[in-house]
Amino acid sequence: MSTSVLARPRTARQKETRRLVLIYAGITPFVLVAVFPIYWMAITAFKQDPDLYRMDNIPFWFNLAPTLQHFKTLFYQTNYGAWISNTMTISVWVALITLLTAVPAGYALARLRLPGAENAGIGIFMSYLVPPIILFLPLSRVVALLGLQDSWWALVLVYPTFTIPFCTWLMMGFFKTVPMEMEEAARVDGCGFFGAFVRVVLPVSVPGVLTSVIFAFTLSMQDFLYGLAFVAPGDQKPVPVGVPTELIRGDVYYWGSLMGAALLVGLPVAILYNFFLDRFIQGITGGVGK
Amino acid sequence: MTSTFQAGDPETGVRVAVPLGALPRSGAWFRSQSARRLGFGYALLAPAALYVTLLVAVPFLFSLYLAVSDATVGEQMAGFIGLENFKAALEMDSFWIALRNSVVFFVVAAVLKSLLGTSLAFLLLQEFRGKKLVRALVVIPFTLPVAISVLGWKWMYDSQFSVVNWVLSRLGLIGAYGTDAWPVWLGDPRLALVACILVNVWRTFPFSAIVLLAGFTSVPNEVLDAAKVDGCSFLQRFHNIVVPMIFPILMVGFLFDTVFTLSDLSVVYILTQGGPGNATQILPVLAYQIGIQAGNLGRGAAIALFLVPLLAPAIFVFLRNLKRREY
Repeated sequence: MSTSVLARPRTARQKETRRLVLIYAGITPFVLVAVFPIYWMAITAFKQDPDLYRMDNIPFWFNLAPTLQHFKTLFYQTNYGAWISNTMTISVWVALITLLTAVPAGYALARLRLPGAENAGIGIFMSYLVPPIILFLPLSRVVALLGLQDSWWALVLVYPTFTIPFCTWLMMGFFKTVPMEMEEAARVDGCGFFGAFVRVVLPVSVPGVLTSVIFAFTLSMQDFLYGLAFVAPGDQKPVPVGVPTELIRGDVYYWGSLMGAALLVGLPVAILYNFFLDRFIQGITGGVGK
Repeated sequence: MTSTFQAGDPETGVRVAVPLGALPRSGAWFRSQSARRLGFGYALLAPAALYVTLLVAVPFLFSLYLAVSDATVGEQMAGFIGLENFKAALEMDSFWIALRNSVVFFVVAAVLKSLLGTSLAFLLLQEFRGKKLVRALVVIPFTLPVAISVLGWKWMYDSQFSVVNWVLSRLGLIGAYGTDAWPVWLGDPRLALVACILVNVWRTFPFSAIVLLAGFTSVPNEVLDAAKVDGCSFLQRFHNIVVPMIFPILMVGFLFDTVFTLSDLSVVYILTQGGPGNATQILPVLAYQIGIQAGNLGRGAAIALFLVPLLAPAIFVFLRNLKRREY
């Protein structure tokens, strides 16, 4: 190993120090590469234009005073406010539809020993793997048929195509961790299937349900294709679609406003998602509850 | 309530604590309630199953039909035209470029992100102060909505004010602005695809690392220790215990990344829209341009379906895996 190259450490403490130095030296480039683009977006959003468009200064800090001008432009001269409100409304609807379908389905598949439950579970999960790029053209017909084209309602209709499969899978894993004894006790108390589910299992599954809401939101925010293909009017778009398509006009880029618009919504989503990332990984690897 | 057994007195409503051992086993209760249970179960399952059937399964089949029809965005009627769309696609130069770029994009990105992801996972397996913070920071590229982070990269790749070029020029690695030695990342056909691949790698290497980490931590230490006691070397332990145990998780991670990378349009669409020329053209972008922008639904669907054979091996492996696993 590398011990032959470096001086062989004499004491345990030296050994430990050397170990840490190597780890930090290894991890620092990863952190820098991961975070720098976000830092760069953030500082761009607060820089004055003359400070942005020059190459002779060191660009990593403010050479002129920071400004909020880009955010003013964003809120007063673009549809940014409308996009934020569209994003919020879409998310609420998508979360609602997802909860009303995925939570009961997850329970049925996990607990009620339905014949064919395993295949149904796999079927639902498989539908999460059908990529939007294959579905968006046929779905454009569906959207047109329902008269939803050119409004954000189209996205309320199509986002559950990926949130329902994912959240059903997630809830399945979650319900499996609820002890069977709880339902048995409920039955002892005279509850039927519905009563046991609603009055006993659901109340202890609030964390799982909340996790599903978070994913309905964060997964919707990852979409770009559906928004791009189904919603043309400028004031109907959600943020992740509106910013790249409406704020870039021809060859003129307002980088300050663009970066501000992107981060103002993107960063909170990223932070929220961050807290639930392990759940996401468990959800897709099927190891929920391990 | 007409269940077969009742604890307590139904008339007075007095509930009596009954030791569980005294009750029929829940399996027996389930069987005795079979019809109700099935009715309730399928009623709970129905909304999700219907939604997924109507908006995923049916559209998928419909896309097969679109691909053999002359459907356009404007027309309601569509006629059967056989394999014309596929033939027309195969005759397009841009289709072959897109297919080649998609494959190159996927393979190069997969190699880079597995190397980076593995290194990062091994580092995160170590114990050190600030590990939680480091982990939270390195996964940001994956958690940031994709369209938003790609915009950040578009600015970093700016033809004139690129911060990447600022650093490279201060290091003396590139020439002055306006000369041939000044890389125009998104405008130069030789560099544009590289630039797009780098963004995909940046976005997904944390995912590779986290999936690997989830795999490593799922291997119980006792098993490794037992093998150590039995005299297994590090390599033997790795090869005979770690790899087989984490393999299923790795496959799932690989499958997700395959589906995401091959079918993602946002990186290339926002950075270059497939340009300059067709230098970064990939199948998803081409399907969008033909299907929506040019309005030729049928041909767009046919192009998108060319992704299926590319995705099929990954999905096959995943399914086999899933069937084997008791979940």
